[in-house]
Amino acid sequence: MTLLFFYVMAGTILAGALGVVLVRNTVYAALFLIMSLLGVAGLYILLSSEFLALVQVLVYGGAVMVLLVFALMLTRVHELDKKMSGDQWPLGAVAALALLGAFIGMWTQTDWPRDPDQVTLVPFATIGDALFNRWSVPFEIVSLVLLVALAGAIIIAMQEEGER
Amino acid sequence: MEAVWADIPLEHFLVLSGMLFCIGVYGVLSRRNAILVLMSVELMLNAVSINMVAFAVYTAPTLFIGIIFTVFIIAIAAAEVGLALGVVLRVFRNRGTANVDEVSALKW
Amino acid sequence: MDDAWLLPAIPVAAFVILLLTSQYLPRRGDWVAIIGMAAAFAIVFPIGKDVADAIGAGEFHGSARSWQWLEIPGYIEIRMGTFVDQITLVMLFCVTLVALLVMIYSTGYMHGDRRYGWFYAVISLFVASMLGLVLADNLLLLYFSWELVGLCSMLLIGYYNDRQSAAEAAKKAFVTTRIGDVGLLIGIIILFTQTGTFNIGEILHAAEAGDIQREWLTAAAVCVLAGAVGKSAQFPLHVWLPDAMEGPTPVSALIHAATMVVAGVYLVARMLPLFEVVRGMPELITALGLTTTMLAAFMGLAQRDIKRVVAYSTLNSLGLMFVALGSGAVGAAMLYLFAHAFFKALLFLASGSVIHATEEQEVDKLGGLWGKLPLTAPAFVIGALAMAGLVPLSGFWAKDEILVGVDHGHLTPIVLWTLIVSLPITALYMTRVVMLTFFGEPKDHHVHEHAHESAPVMTMPLLLLAVLAVVSGFVVFEGVGEALGFHSGWLGFIFNEAEGPHHFEVQWGLTILSVVLVVAGIVGGVWFWGGRAEPARRAGAFSPFFYRMFLNRFYFDEVYQFAIDKVVLAAGRVVAVFDRVVVNDTGVNGPGEATDFAASLGKRQQTGLLPNYALAIVVGIVVIAAVAFGYRG
Repeated sequence: MTLLFFYVMAGTILAGALGVVLVRNTVYAALFLIMSLLGVAGLYILLSSEFLALVQVLVYGGAVMVLLVFALMLTRVHELDKKMSGDQWPLGAVAALALLGAFIGMWTQTDWPRDPDQVTLVPFATIGDALFNRWSVPFEIVSLVLLVALAGAIIIAMQEEGER
Repeated sequence: MEAVWADIPLEHFLVLSGMLFCIGVYGVLSRRNAILVLMSVELMLNAVSINMVAFAVYTAPTLFIGIIFTVFIIAIAAAEVGLALGVVLRVFRNRGTANVDEVSALKW
Repeated sequence: MDDAWLLPAIPVAAFVILLLTSQYLPRRGDWVAIIGMAAAFAIVFPIGKDVADAIGAGEFHGSARSWQWLEIPGYIEIRMGTFVDQITLVMLFCVTLVALLVMIYSTGYMHGDRRYGWFYAVISLFVASMLGLVLADNLLLLYFSWELVGLCSMLLIGYYNDRQSAAEAAKKAFVTTRIGDVGLLIGIIILFTQTGTFNIGEILHAAEAGDIQREWLTAAAVCVLAGAVGKSAQFPLHVWLPDAMEGPTPVSALIHAATMVVAGVYLVARMLPLFEVVRGMPELITALGLTTTMLAAFMGLAQRDIKRVVAYSTLNSLGLMFVALGSGAVGAAMLYLFAHAFFKALLFLASGSVIHATEEQEVDKLGGLWGKLPLTAPAFVIGALAMAGLVPLSGFWAKDEILVGVDHGHLTPIVLWTLIVSLPITALYMTRVVMLTFFGEPKDHHVHEHAHESAPVMTMPLLLLAVLAVVSGFVVFEGVGEALGFHSGWLGFIFNEAEGPHHFEVQWGLTILSVVLVVAGIVGGVWFWGGRAEPARRAGAFSPFFYRMFLNRFYFDEVYQFAIDKVVLAAGRVVAVFDRVVVNDTGVNGPGEATDFAASLGKRQQTGLLPNYALAIVVGIVVIAAVAFGYRG
């Protein structure tokens, strides 16, 4: 049952990902990305991390995707590009496959540890507690990075004087 | 959901995340539109996140460090997307294109 | 005596002030330089009194005062300081007095000049470096001042920098003296490596004690002498001095009388103990001086430029001083230097006054100026007679001392007889220039009618120098020396009385002979060039070969120019080709071009395209992974 659920989610993720990198229409690509990200959220639930699943849906499915679609809209040229892939796509494919080969080599040569007996659902409260106690400093730093990045993004994208 | 993953080996998650990562790499290397390149980067980040969470759950479930890190990754990803899209918008406004192979001023 | 360092310091301060502010000062600040020089001149007197007292009190071998300059602990300590003895005192007196008079004179001569302030600034530095040179107690400071003297002389000779010939003359003076300067530097280095000190007294002591290896000592002596020969314009480096006329006339007076050419004489006098222990060295010095004297006497006979004649007379005098030094007659040489400073400054300033009055310096265009220049003309005549050595002017006593000194010396009598032969020739050409300039028919009536006597500021120094040119020789008498506050006459002053019988003596035979020869020269000159100068023209026509030789200065310049063109420049061209091809094209440009070529190939990888870079990253990761797998086997 869970294995089946895993394969369904995996299929969704990979299909969505392939859609992102292969389809010609950019809006379709964005929709495929949503599909893939939702699949990842499903995997998180499978891994009993509901908190992450929620964050994934909220931040990715919500904020990031809205940003991306807005950007697509703002940078739309009237006629669709004839060519969606760059000239080096065969090389890119070879490189990606070679990387996958490296991964496979690594998987097969490693003896993976597993300790599934102790796995339990991690409650939200515990994660919150950890975030704001033990990980409070990294958390604050990440907040600061986010703030600076967004301020920077606004400044970069802002219309300059004399610009149409 | 007690012990539901008992019959799913860790390798399944790793293979999945590796394939997702390589698809993302291919997207970064072959896509022309900068926003699609960014989407491919998101795929790669998600692959890493899956890896993190799987390892956390399978090897050290009581510490859940992987989960915390995934939270950070998502936050950083959001920052990165915001910033990168700002840059893409600026490039588009200055150059009239959002294609990465048409912007090559930084060369000899 | 301990405050002797003030002497160079004051003119240096004047130089700095003038350099920075002369534009903003009234009269361009000439008074700063003059007041500074007057102060330096005034300081000479207390120093002289100290020296006189010290001599009176007993044995006196100079007073030194020094400060640490540089120390490398355990290896070397270099001190700089001042050294004052009788020779120094004579130099200090001559230099400061002549410089002061020249500066006062220049306020008239240089009036309204474009670079008036610069002129006074450089003159101040010139005098300061000469004072530093004579006061230095070590060779390093001496060399430093020596080079400054050379630099200032170049600046002043090339003062009219809009004139091609002035620039050429400045270059010639600098390069020619530089040949000697390099020799001096090598000599100093040799002496330092042999003795481990720069202090002159210690070096002389080591040389006399035989602590220096004979070969090195000979080499050092030759090198130091080369420096003196260059600076004092002795044969064969004499060619720069006549051309130094291109500078303003007061500068010529300063160079010839006080600040530059006598530096070489001073150096030889100061280092004489070193030269005397080297076999053949006194003979070499004498031979150089004798050659210079004779060449200059003959060349002076035919020159047309009034300043140039005086310049050759300087060569003549310098040769005499070298002969005296070669014979070991330091007192005679210093007496001649003392007297020469005044009558040579007088001659130059007077000829400057003539030039100022007529704006003409070719004797062919002058003539009949005696009545027109009532002060300048007698002054010039007095200077010329002193130069000729007519009794009882100062030149006579000094020259007579040299003759006696040479006679007493251990050198071959040929030296003495050659000197005696040069005497009437000197008298002859000095008379010639006087006759052509001030007597006879005016050759250019336009010039003659516009001639006018110079302003008092120029004639007053002339008169003072004329008086000194007459009386300065009397210091040889003990009575005069005592009246001046010293305990004996000149020779007793220069040499400590304790060291031996250095008293003035008259060898009647020599004296009468020299006087007769000088009078004969003067009479001959009057006869040759008096009136319409017919005998001279006939003499010139009789031996045009010699006339041309004299006029063209024995073709020394041509020979040197030929050597420079054919040898130096040819070698220079070879070196230049080496520099251009090997050093520049290969050594310097080669690596640059190689880099450029490599970059033209390598830059292609920088496409500027983002996907290419990303691909490179991925390929890099794959390669690293493959390598890692390879290591794990």
